[in-house]
This record gives sequence, C-alpha cells and structure tokens, in this order.
Amino acid sequence: MSLVNFTAREITCKLVYYGPGRSGKTTNLQYIHGRVPEQRRGRMISLATQADRTLFFDFLPLELGQISGFTTRFQLYTVPGQVYYNATRRLVLQGADGVVFVADSQARRFEDNVESFQNLQENLLDQGVDIRTLPVVLQYNKQDLPPELILTPAELDDALNFRGVPSLGADALHGSGVFETLKQLSALVLQRLAMAPPEEGVHSS
Amino acid sequence: MKAIEPWVESPLRTFLAESSARVVLLMTTAGQVVAQHGFTRSMDVMSAAALGAGIVASTAELGRTLGGGPLAELVHQGTRQGIFLASFDTPRGRWIALVVFGGESSLGLVQLFFGRMVTDLAVAAPVEEPRRAVLAEDFERDLNASLRALFGR
Repeated sequence: MSLVNFTAREITCKLVYYGPGRSGKTTNLQYIHGRVPEQRRGRMISLATQADRTLFFDFLPLELGQISGFTTRFQLYTVPGQVYYNATRRLVLQGADGVVFVADSQARRFEDNVESFQNLQENLLDQGVDIRTLPVVLQYNKQDLPPELILTPAELDDALNFRGVPSLGADALHGSGVFETLKQLSALVLQRLAMAPPEEGVHSS
Repeated sequence: MKAIEPWVESPLRTFLAESSARVVLLMTTAGQVVAQHGFTRSMDVMSAAALGAGIVASTAELGRTLGGGPLAELVHQGTRQGIFLASFDTPRGRWIALVVFGGESSLGLVQLFFGRMVTDLAVAAPVEEPRRAVLAEDFERDLNASLRALFGR
C-alpha cells in the first residue's frame, strides 16, 4: 500500500510488473532505467539466474517529483514469470499499489498469458485483495513481431481484459508503449489515492 | 535520521545512542521505508529496504517449508562490520529492522537494545488519526508535468 508521510509530504507507491516468463517485464524496467535522468532514479537491482531469468525480482526506484505538493516516489518491481517461482511472486506482490500485467502477444504464448493472469488473481486473493479493486493496466508486448505470429490487442483484450481496464500494445525492447503504460498506471494509482481515503502514515499488513 | 512519523524518532535515537549502530533502516514487510539513519542517498535506502524485505519474506517462507516457523532474525558477522536483520510486531503492523554495526558495537549490544526499541515503539505509537485526503483532485496536471520531465516527452 502507498506510504504517505504528511510531515515530510512524501508519497511512496509500489508498482509491480507481472506476467508470464519472457514476456518482457524486466525489459520494461531496463528501458525505463536507461531513459530516466540519473538524478531521478536509483540503481536497478536484478536478482537473476545465470541465464538472466529473474529469480526473485527486479527493482527500480523512481522519483517523480512534486505532485500536489507531495514528493512522489515509485518503486517498480518485476516478479519472476516462470511457473515454479510462485512463492516469490506472492512475496513481491505483497503491498502492491498497482499492477502492470505484461502479456506476450505471440499466439503460441496465449495459454501462458491466461494462466499467469489467473495466477495473479489467485495470489492477490490469497492476500485479501480483489483484483477489481486494484489499479491494473494490461500491456500487450512484442507487437513489433510479424503479424502472423502475434495476436492483436483486440484479440488479447477479448481473452484477458474482461474488466475493461486500460490496455496498450507495446514493444518494450525499443520502448514503444513503455512510458505510456507506466503513465496509465501512475494515474490510476494516484487517482485512487486522491479519491479514496488513504492509509495514513506507516502501516503494513 | 529521517522518520516517516515523529513518534518513531525517539525510540530510534535511543537505540542508535545505546547500540552504537552505524546504519539503521526500519521498513514495512512490503519494503516501504519507515525510518532510516546513516544512508546518504534516498534511492539507496529504497533499494536496501526492497532487498531487506525480500530476504525476510523469503527466509520466512523457507522456515515454513522446512517445517519450522519463520526465522526470527538473520545475522552476518563480517570482518569490518556486521548486519542484523529482524522482523517485529508494532501497533502499525509487522515491520523489519536492518542494522549495520561495526567494531564500536557488537551483536550482543544490538540485540539487547533492539529488543528495547521494539518495546519503546509499541509504547510510543499513537492512537491512529482519522484518515484524510492526500492529493488534490487536479493532481493529474502535476503528474503529467512530472512524467513529461521524467521521460522527456
């Protein structure tokens, strides 16, 4: 959950990139890390296997600047996508203020996307969070691949986006859709903070 | 020292003075920073909190998997400095402490005064105040400007 410091007027939000293995979650963070001015971001931490697959999480702290008089910081996390890392996915998901679900647009990964999205819902429910109450943005990554290999955003919307949350096509490797996704989720998370009375000060569950 | 809420400061100051710890970081189990002393860059604090919370969460799961309870604390004793990592209950939920100490202190001192700090925090926590609005309704203008500055578009 968001941490709000009224004394120092600071807000810290936790955003989690979720999705099946090799869908491009880490690539999203790497692109952001490479493009954001150094003074506005921290070191990107990647706890990965020797084969560069995320083992625990990637972490990238970002400082957005002043919003409504509050210094606003985002902590971006990715989860490991591989099926067998569910225990660590649950841990990283804990206390998330919003989720980007990064789907792999390749037609052959369709089932993996559906399975991972169901897994997201289950892991949130385990923590007492109904996905319908959480800001979520769907990113359909790898839309740059040849059309015969991928599903269109409309087709992926049909399969995954039954709530009608914001969804975007992306090519995370080259940056298309990456900032737009983060922008959409940032707005939803802060909107929620503005509209719903927030947890004040220091809380954790 | 920097604390999210003023009531955390006094117990933390006492702990620092008595244990002679070099660095202290208090965080929530989700990795959100509650208070810190000894860090120079705010971004490093967030990274340390994310990693500390990850370690505590994963060792708790490991403990459960091995048929025991969660590990109460973790200690690394290096040649130049030691690291103490422990989770504890507060009136505001479960928190985690990451403490770095050098030759001027010892693990025993840190553990001793850590226990006292946990008690002091429980006493110092005020009754929760009513929730209040955070962001103005027109926050999106600021958000868009910030994101433009951040991403250069």
